[in-house]
Amino acid sequence: MTTVTAAPAHHDSGTFRAALPHIAPFLGILVLAVILPFVSNDYWVLIGTRAAIYWVLVSGLNLVVGFAGHLAIGYVALLTLGAYTTSVLVAGNVMPPVPVFAALPIAGAVGAVFGVIVGLPALRLRTFYFAMSTLGFATIVTQIALAWQSVTGGGIGIVGPEFPAPFNTAWGFYFLCICFGVVTTWMSANIARSRFGRALIAVRDAEVAAEATGISKPKMLIAIFLFAGALAAIAGGLFATLQTYITPDAFTFDLSVLFFIAILIGGRGSILGPMLGTIILTILPEIAAPLAAWSTFLYAVLLLLIVLVMPGGIAALLDFRNRRPLASNRAIVPRPAALADIVRKRTGGSHLKLRGIALSFGNVRAIDGLDLDVAPGEIHGLIGPNGSGKTTTLNVISGYYAAEAGSMTLGDDALPPGEPTLRAHRGIARTFQTPRVIGEASVLQNVMIGGSIEGRASFVESMLALPRNAWDERMLAAKARALLGVVGLESLAEVRTDRLQHSELRFIEIARALMLDPDFLLLDEPAAGLSNDEIERLAVLIKAICARGTGVLLVEHHADLIFDICHQVTVLNLGRTLAAGTPAEIRVHKEVVSAYLGG
Amino acid sequence: MAISRRDVLLGSAGAAGTAAFSFPVPAIAQSEPVKVGCLAAMTGPSSAPTIGFNRGVTFAVEAINAAGGIKGRKLELFIRDTQGDPTKAVNATQELISQAKVHAIWGPLNSGEALATTPIMARAKMPDIHPCVVESLIDTTKFPNAFRMAPSNSQWDDAVRNYCLNILKAKKIAVIGDTTGYGVTAVGASVAAFKKDGADVVYQANVDSTQPDMTPDMLRAKNAGAEAIVVWSVSTGMEARMFNVRAVMNWDVPFVGHPSMSSGEIAGLVEKPANWKKVYAIGYKSCSYDAAGKLPPKSEDLVARLAKANVVMNDTLLWWIAGGIDAIELIAKAVAESGSTDSAAIIAYWNTLSKYPGYFGNYSFSPTQHNGYPTEEIVMSEASTAKNGTFALAPGYT
Amino acid sequence: MLASIIASGLAAGAIYALVGVTYNTMFSTSRVMSFTAGQLAMLGGVFGSLFTLKLGLPIVVGFLLTLVCCAIIGIITEFVAVRPVLKSLDQHLYVLSTLAVALMIQQVSAIKWGTEPQPFPRLFGIGSGVWDEKFWLPVVACAITIVALEYLYRRTLVGRAFVAIAEDNFAARALGLPERNLRVASYALAGVIGGVAGYSGGELMLAFFANGALLNFYGFVPVALGGLGNNRGAIVGGLALGLFQQAANFLVGGIFSSVAVFTLFIVVLLAAPQGLFGSSTARRV
Repeated sequence: MTTVTAAPAHHDSGTFRAALPHIAPFLGILVLAVILPFVSNDYWVLIGTRAAIYWVLVSGLNLVVGFAGHLAIGYVALLTLGAYTTSVLVAGNVMPPVPVFAALPIAGAVGAVFGVIVGLPALRLRTFYFAMSTLGFATIVTQIALAWQSVTGGGIGIVGPEFPAPFNTAWGFYFLCICFGVVTTWMSANIARSRFGRALIAVRDAEVAAEATGISKPKMLIAIFLFAGALAAIAGGLFATLQTYITPDAFTFDLSVLFFIAILIGGRGSILGPMLGTIILTILPEIAAPLAAWSTFLYAVLLLLIVLVMPGGIAALLDFRNRRPLASNRAIVPRPAALADIVRKRTGGSHLKLRGIALSFGNVRAIDGLDLDVAPGEIHGLIGPNGSGKTTTLNVISGYYAAEAGSMTLGDDALPPGEPTLRAHRGIARTFQTPRVIGEASVLQNVMIGGSIEGRASFVESMLALPRNAWDERMLAAKARALLGVVGLESLAEVRTDRLQHSELRFIEIARALMLDPDFLLLDEPAAGLSNDEIERLAVLIKAICARGTGVLLVEHHADLIFDICHQVTVLNLGRTLAAGTPAEIRVHKEVVSAYLGG
Repeated sequence: MAISRRDVLLGSAGAAGTAAFSFPVPAIAQSEPVKVGCLAAMTGPSSAPTIGFNRGVTFAVEAINAAGGIKGRKLELFIRDTQGDPTKAVNATQELISQAKVHAIWGPLNSGEALATTPIMARAKMPDIHPCVVESLIDTTKFPNAFRMAPSNSQWDDAVRNYCLNILKAKKIAVIGDTTGYGVTAVGASVAAFKKDGADVVYQANVDSTQPDMTPDMLRAKNAGAEAIVVWSVSTGMEARMFNVRAVMNWDVPFVGHPSMSSGEIAGLVEKPANWKKVYAIGYKSCSYDAAGKLPPKSEDLVARLAKANVVMNDTLLWWIAGGIDAIELIAKAVAESGSTDSAAIIAYWNTLSKYPGYFGNYSFSPTQHNGYPTEEIVMSEASTAKNGTFALAPGYT
Repeated sequence: MLASIIASGLAAGAIYALVGVTYNTMFSTSRVMSFTAGQLAMLGGVFGSLFTLKLGLPIVVGFLLTLVCCAIIGIITEFVAVRPVLKSLDQHLYVLSTLAVALMIQQVSAIKWGTEPQPFPRLFGIGSGVWDEKFWLPVVACAITIVALEYLYRRTLVGRAFVAIAEDNFAARALGLPERNLRVASYALAGVIGGVAGYSGGELMLAFFANGALLNFYGFVPVALGGLGNNRGAIVGGLALGLFQQAANFLVGGIFSSVAVFTLFIVVLLAAPQGLFGSSTARRV
């Protein structure tokens, strides 16, 4: 602490100024919320309280639906669970009465556990299955609330908890709920802006790439299911107080649809959007009372319109920055020299060895007894006609496919077959034949995802914005910016990635892979779709990476590029090695020449 | 009569005194309309009763206004469609209280809605008169503002039990309800009360109302030797299935219970009209016709007035309409008699009522008893005999 | 008692199985699971009651009109909720778009048809007790549908084209098959199958708007059990579910039978994500 200098302080105020445009809308909403009771009546205070409580739930669910992309359509079940848990604890139906401020955290813990149980199918199953399982859960929670009469009061229900003074008045409770809303907004924003939030979006939009960067989907999802479940249950406790009395019929499927649609109206991957969505959907039925009977129908129409017409939701409407046109004549100008400042220089190091690898899909032998050695500090080319097994080889090394026979070693250690998420930890990074990036995230965020496993802060630390998280973020952002400089894209750092050209995506993927500071870099046709100028710059970049001691395995169709920069070349045909050697040897290899080089 | 009532009013000097003291500006208040809020589930499932009640409410308001209002003050209705959703009901209640600033509230009927809104109305000391059957809604200490002008669940239960045990002379009873909150609770209460009265409850079940076949439950009830089946459900589909299964089983056990068994929809759901015989649903003396097809004189008079005003009666129940009228008249009467729309005055007036003659029944309230409807008014009626919302008395009543 | 459980179990099971086949039929040409499957079956009951009881049309005319209406709803689903989101199948937008259409169908039915179950016409008046037509009709309808589908898929050109598209969409298009028209046709076919499910089950389940949501879930369970796109699996799964559910109703009562079904569903999904008869997932990378 004593070593704090002026520089970091200046840096902090800088980040604050940069963050202000993001925070300002939230502060605006907060100010309006605080003013509300003074300019209206108890009715609007009630509606405001309701919106705040719904937001407590939605802010957690937003991470599940909006960030992780899992369509949890039955989240009213967790609201029900929390409402009943809190009410039962406070009423003392099963054990001595618990004060409400103790009951709420207990309900949160129960909700967290059930959040994971309901979420479990999402770890293994397709989207629709998960949607169905949340729906099924919503049904049985109500059924159990009905049946377990001795505890829940059955159909007659149970009195909602009452808060002690000063929160037992309409105003007091309103401000309490606003406080809850502020805290959950802060926590969910912290998660969203941390490496965990980026990882969620990565798993959603580019799951395969996320695995290659070492992001473990189950761990991520369990963390947010815990978080969202806890918030939903706490919202349930507040909901029970607001309702004064809860019966199973208060927890309608309409409520579930409201939560769900609020997020989609708001826009995926946003926090402000779903917050506005929640507020709008809470108020809408109040000012459109004559339409009460049709409200579900209107929600459905709204949902369809969003999906078909405005998939970005409110967040996309408010995203003014990304409407500014990009320079059309921009060029990618890598500065490989800068690599020295970022990537450590390796000397020696272990070899990546494949021996007798075999893999078949049905009756097709995709790889049939392949041997391959990639040395550190060398560029190893892998060429061959379509279907010869080049990409499959990369996929076996990355762990997407488990070979049926043969062994892989990295130095002295065996590289276990399968388990793609462990490759990043072993220093293996890769790019993909079709770039797998997150279109909705900025270029900088896409690159930062590459460094996910380097973060040291835990999920809880990130949620509470503790110092280690801030340190992680600064480190990852600085490194990502520097690497964008290396690949020549730093001017596009803040741009949404789906606005970029195909060739730029290829360089983003390389920058993302370099975030790992990898021992081995697997490049899958990095030159495909690039102009001749760009290929030249790519060649320089790859050579520079190799020069820092990284072993590069390069799958490519551009023979010139291969022969220009490779130290070793392996030629595949029908899953077998046709030839292997230095570019000079391959160039004169008879079969290779007659088959591929058009000689 | 008028004198004695004034005496009673003076007797409860505390309440009346405060009421008189809190008159804000009488001169302005005199011309201001009397605002009545209606928490009514006009759409959605379980909206049928409220729609019926609402016809009575509207009829009464129009009648009063046509006759010059309450001492020159018009009645103004604020109807809020709550769709049977407690969440919407809570919002609507607060809106009526804080925004519309109504003087009294009628409803709600649905139990989930009533349970959630009653404490909110109590907090605002809002005079409330409702027909919801849930027992715990009437509590003169917690909710001194809430008055019930319809039978409570236990009164229904008493009437059903009375009919089974004393008129049908059944000893072995089966109690079946649906899996909704209402069904589960009502079955539990009913079984306990039967047992307390020494009856033998041979079978009890809560059945999912969507279950396609009722044979298993009916078979088990039969095997257990049930002599009457008591039904607590609002699901007409499930009830019709039970009637059909009874016919298939060639069993002549009577069904006794919830008024929904007399709902008009059942006519289309039973396989043949005979299946709907020997079904006795809860009804009311005021809305039951005798062997000669005659209603009590006061009700005959009401039906004539309703017919003149073109109020539709054939798709609803008369007691719903009558209850709606009574509710409005109780509010109007309170304003007229206490000379004030002050909530304390209205409540104080209601607390003095003794055998107030309404169309649906005679209501009596006191500061410690807000269950205003007399149990002896509740009778069983032949479920399949609907005629303009009235029913034939079940056999056995004299 | 046992006879009654088996009768109602098989009847309910046959309806679930047909809804499962409806899911599969839509899935086969579009790779989309649609929330409208159960709603189509609900509409089969509602339209059947509407045409025969409300409008007084002859039973045959009412039946055919019901199927035509369901087919039209199927086609509308394809145009409104499926076609626009096909190009980004991996974003699973179809879950939302078909949910939206399903909610609209349900809400319009609730408001226009009413929220109380309404009677369904008695079609033949054959049988009583456990041999009542309301029990065997869905089973017979299920059997006929399966035989007809097998005939369609194996013996007719259109049917083979369906199979070709279901097996390899790209290859089928490369062969010049009119993929788009076949997809529309398969949605119409799904509408007809859903309509048959609802119509044949009408006497059992009545014409009731809430049947849609119910059948959505209970019709999906056979698909999850039998494996996506596997009609035989759906039939076996559906009948098994029907028997299991009715037996649970009998053994543990109405409230916990739905809990039992849900638990079974989750356990099967976690133990065998591809279903008991399903094949393994496609290649990801």
